[in-house]
Amino acid sequence: MSSGPYNYNYIFKYIIIGDMGVGKSCLLHQFTEKKFMANCPHTIGVEFGTRIIEVADKKIKLQIWDTAGQERFRAVTRSYYRGAAGALMVYDITRRSTYNHLSSWLTDTRNLTNPNTVIFLIGNKSDLESTREVTYEEAKQFADENGLMFAEASAMNGQNVEEAFLETARKIYQNIQEGRLDLNASESGVQHRPSQPGRTSLTSDTPNNKDQCSC
Amino acid sequence: MEELLSEVVPQQDLEKFEKKYHQELDQQSVSHRTQFEYAWCLVRSSYAPDIQKGILLLEDLMTRDADGKRDYIYYLAIGNARIKQYSLAMKFCKAFLQIEPNNQQVISLEQYVKDKLEKESLKGIAVAGGAALALGGLIGLGIALAKNRKTANKD
Ligand SMILES: Nc1nc2c(ncn2[C@@H]2O[C@H](COP(=O)(O)OP(=O)(O)O)[C@@H](O)[C@H]2O)c(=O)[nH]1
Ligand SMILES: [Mg+2]
Repeated sequence: MSSGPYNYNYIFKYIIIGDMGVGKSCLLHQFTEKKFMANCPHTIGVEFGTRIIEVADKKIKLQIWDTAGQERFRAVTRSYYRGAAGALMVYDITRRSTYNHLSSWLTDTRNLTNPNTVIFLIGNKSDLESTREVTYEEAKQFADENGLMFAEASAMNGQNVEEAFLETARKIYQNIQEGRLDLNASESGVQHRPSQPGRTSLTSDTPNNKDQCSC
Repeated sequence: MEELLSEVVPQQDLEKFEKKYHQELDQQSVSHRTQFEYAWCLVRSSYAPDIQKGILLLEDLMTRDADGKRDYIYYLAIGNARIKQYSLAMKFCKAFLQIEPNNQQVISLEQYVKDKLEKESLKGIAVAGGAALALGGLIGLGIALAKNRKTANKD
């Protein structure tokens, strides 16, 4: 890894987890492209997305791993949990079974990430009020009992999607400021990239634009 | 896409799924799931022979398990892209998109592979062009030398 100048100061690694069909990939696309994919096919293995955001005047690159919820992928997708700074745990407010499975997703997350990993619970498909099966109150209580952040959101109309990703980042940033995260440990899920444009001339062979392309 | 293709499987995971695969192999009853899990880890290795091995396991699965075809073709494309076998990667992307034309995961991968292939062919042209220039240069030099010799002879 080169130490050349970057157009961001930090990298935060996120994972998105939850049952198949709850809207994980749609949330990712809504966040990275501000679009709703109506006919999103089932994810194969993992999908990747990225976006640069700003928290407290710092530019943060989010590297987001969207995992497939199907059972046959689950064993291997666990290796993506390691080193996640943030985990978005998603259920579908119109399908109670996806809510009932949360404790198993939470157990995986707790076992495979570090104690400071920020977990944000998302009750997705809030636009489908008429077919709701899980109330806001009971999910809020579950979140409070387990120390999770929580919001209901809709990947379809965009409600609370930005907020969920950004509030997770703010919380991670706060943990850094308060010294709770060891930035030198790879499992923290955070990398610091001091941007020092003055050094460009010293590292002339650095492929600067590599990290600027939106892959 | 770059991140997806350079991300490396944790060594302990590779070993875990390798062990599971070999245990089942010893009992001569390797399940599709176990073989796929091991192959998926192998194609995410940083070591090219591992990726090759993963590709062989996926190709074998293709012949044995029609239900998982979608997953296998996708990871065959990923594996080949990771070892820079872009023409093969392209072949698998195209095969996939024939069945599922709107798959965003595969469309992004295909775009990436297409860019790489274009760059390679441009480089190819540059190399061929360079060779032609060099050859032209040699002939030119030969003519110049011959001329020189003539003038030298004259003197
Ligand atoms: N009404 C509504 N449908 C959604 C929403 N998010 C996702 N969907 C639909 O739910 C299905 C599954 O979404 P997908 O993102 O593939 O789920 P994943 O398996 O968790 O990645 C798709 O048909 C989406 O169109 C939402 O917020 N509202
Ligand atoms: Mg998905």
